[in-house]
Amino acid sequence: MLKYCAKRLARSVVSLAIIVAVVFSLLRLMPVEGYFSQLDQMTEAQINNELEKMGLNDPVPVQLGRFYVQILHGDLGKSTRYRDGYPVAKIVKKKAPISIKFGLLAMGVSLPLGMLLGILMAKKKNGIADKLGTLYIILIQAVPSAVYYLLIQLYGTSALKIGLLYDDDKPITMILPILSLALPSIAGYAMWLRRYMVDEENKDYIKMAKAKGVPKAKIARQHVFRNAVVPMVQFIPGSMLLTIAGSIYVESLYSIPGMGGLLVEVIKRQDNNMVQGLVIIFAVLGIFGLLLGDLLMALVDPRISLTKKEGSR
Amino acid sequence: MENKKVVLSIQDMNIKFSLRGQILHAIRGVSLDIYEGECLAIVGESGSGKSVLTKTCMGLLDKNGFIESGHIMYDGKDLATYKTDKEWEKICGSEIAMVMQDPMTCLNPLKTIGWQIEESLRYHSTLNKEERKKRVIEILTDVGITEPERRYKQYPHEFSGGMRQRVAIAIAVACNPKILICDEPTTALDVTIQAQILELIRNMQKKYNLTTVYITHDLGVVANVADRVAVMYAGDIIEVGTSREIFYEPKHPYTWALLASLPQLGIKGEELSSIHGTPPNLFLPVKGDAFAPRNPYALAVDFEYRPPYFEVSPTHKAKTWLLDPRAPKIEPPKVLEMIKNMERVGGVLNG
Repeated sequence: MLKYCAKRLARSVVSLAIIVAVVFSLLRLMPVEGYFSQLDQMTEAQINNELEKMGLNDPVPVQLGRFYVQILHGDLGKSTRYRDGYPVAKIVKKKAPISIKFGLLAMGVSLPLGMLLGILMAKKKNGIADKLGTLYIILIQAVPSAVYYLLIQLYGTSALKIGLLYDDDKPITMILPILSLALPSIAGYAMWLRRYMVDEENKDYIKMAKAKGVPKAKIARQHVFRNAVVPMVQFIPGSMLLTIAGSIYVESLYSIPGMGGLLVEVIKRQDNNMVQGLVIIFAVLGIFGLLLGDLLMALVDPRISLTKKEGSR
Repeated sequence: MENKKVVLSIQDMNIKFSLRGQILHAIRGVSLDIYEGECLAIVGESGSGKSVLTKTCMGLLDKNGFIESGHIMYDGKDLATYKTDKEWEKICGSEIAMVMQDPMTCLNPLKTIGWQIEESLRYHSTLNKEERKKRVIEILTDVGITEPERRYKQYPHEFSGGMRQRVAIAIAVACNPKILICDEPTTALDVTIQAQILELIRNMQKKYNLTTVYITHDLGVVANVADRVAVMYAGDIIEVGTSREIFYEPKHPYTWALLASLPQLGIKGEELSSIHGTPPNLFLPVKGDAFAPRNPYALAVDFEYRPPYFEVSPTHKAKTWLLDPRAPKIEPPKVLEMIKNMERVGGVLNG
């Protein structure tokens, strides 16, 4: 177990180092104005002087080495054009918890509901629940989310008799954004679980269990559901961690001061350090999520050996 | 054999499937008695209904299949009237058990094999947890798995195909069923393992006093294990008799053709014998003898009327007009004579 974890961890660290190198090198190709908030008021000499100070005139490998040391100390650099002089980490620290709170709450709602829906659909395949569920999934996937987000905001706020926007002091205003975030993920979880369960139903060992005289409810729980969950657990840690990215649309709709749209914003403003910092944070979380997913998967599926070499599956 | 007690009696069974709005008549009026302690083999080509027939005896018919008419008498009850899963749960596993074809897929990969053997005991016995575990270890030893204590905790992927089939057999016999249905138990196995598994089933049959029903299209297996053979074609049992009768004195042209296509009877350099054509389309009503269109010995009457059973001996009967006193005398193909001299098939029968 330990060896397996260590190996996976080592591989993640290597991937991360590569990602950092790629992101860093790419951003060095960006115009230098991304490092200054008031470029037009500076002379050529001043610019050059500043660049020299920031070490941006050194060869890229040297800069990269310095950057590695820097991020190992938790320093992602300072924002320039987005919020001049503010450390990137500080900005993220302020905004991320809000997005995470919404994301996790939405997940807490959508995971059980989506699973429940998936189970219901799989249990009575081609029954009413299955047809309604399918209709729901198709609607969610076919209708642009903007449409139902707006409808939810419009009718939801008047039904709950609250203002259009999110208010930190009124927890009730969280309901609608969470609902908006949950609706599509419910559809996603339901669709996958249904699919995996239907796959399981047709397996030989389910027939075998029937031939053993195992009660139907037990088969559904101990064989069908248990086995169908395995492929799902892999991506759950990842999606939990990536709630940090927030949702651009929902957050702007309710003017929630989260991370949603932050990356787009700083790219638009050409704040090189911010872009770099955010991309690296997302990459870390993405890779860490995958790692956790793999470990979790190994816990629920005995076929994934923890002692054998990695990649045995 | 005829004095023996009948444990399971299938009477005039008709099973149909509805498929894309059409009705497929899969089992066309089959009657079959299974005697206590015997080993019966049901043979026939793919799609002849062997599996459907036995699955019906365990309530495992696919959802689109239904029993149109007929009875399955077991222990004074008519299983054909069973509708709910609850009713079947009492029969499956504890009275009638099954060994499936493919041991690679019939075990749940996420459960230890100990758990899976114990599972049926949990629902069919009054044993407590420790007793169950003890019993499982005992059965594992019975089916020839060494180090059962260690194996108990292992998962299916840690077992080879042959070992898994042993586990499947252990699961089947765990609750002391009366009847064991083996649905092509050796098809998915290595040839070297096949004999071991057959031997094991035979030992289990003795030890647990089982009545075994083999479903197979491997006549070699049949010759090895069966006391009695039922030959199925197009959803009907066209000939049934003791192994000796079926192998040495077959009466139905289909049985002739089936036996003649044993590869062991082929002569080097000559084409192997095969049955031409395809089985009838069971979506359409079958007129006369279902085998007639492929039968080189077919009589005119074969195309018009379905033959009844003609009794050859108290244990042997066949559905062919050739046995009618008015029919012309047709000798079975010469090549079948060789079966008596064959070591693999005949030798075992004599022994």
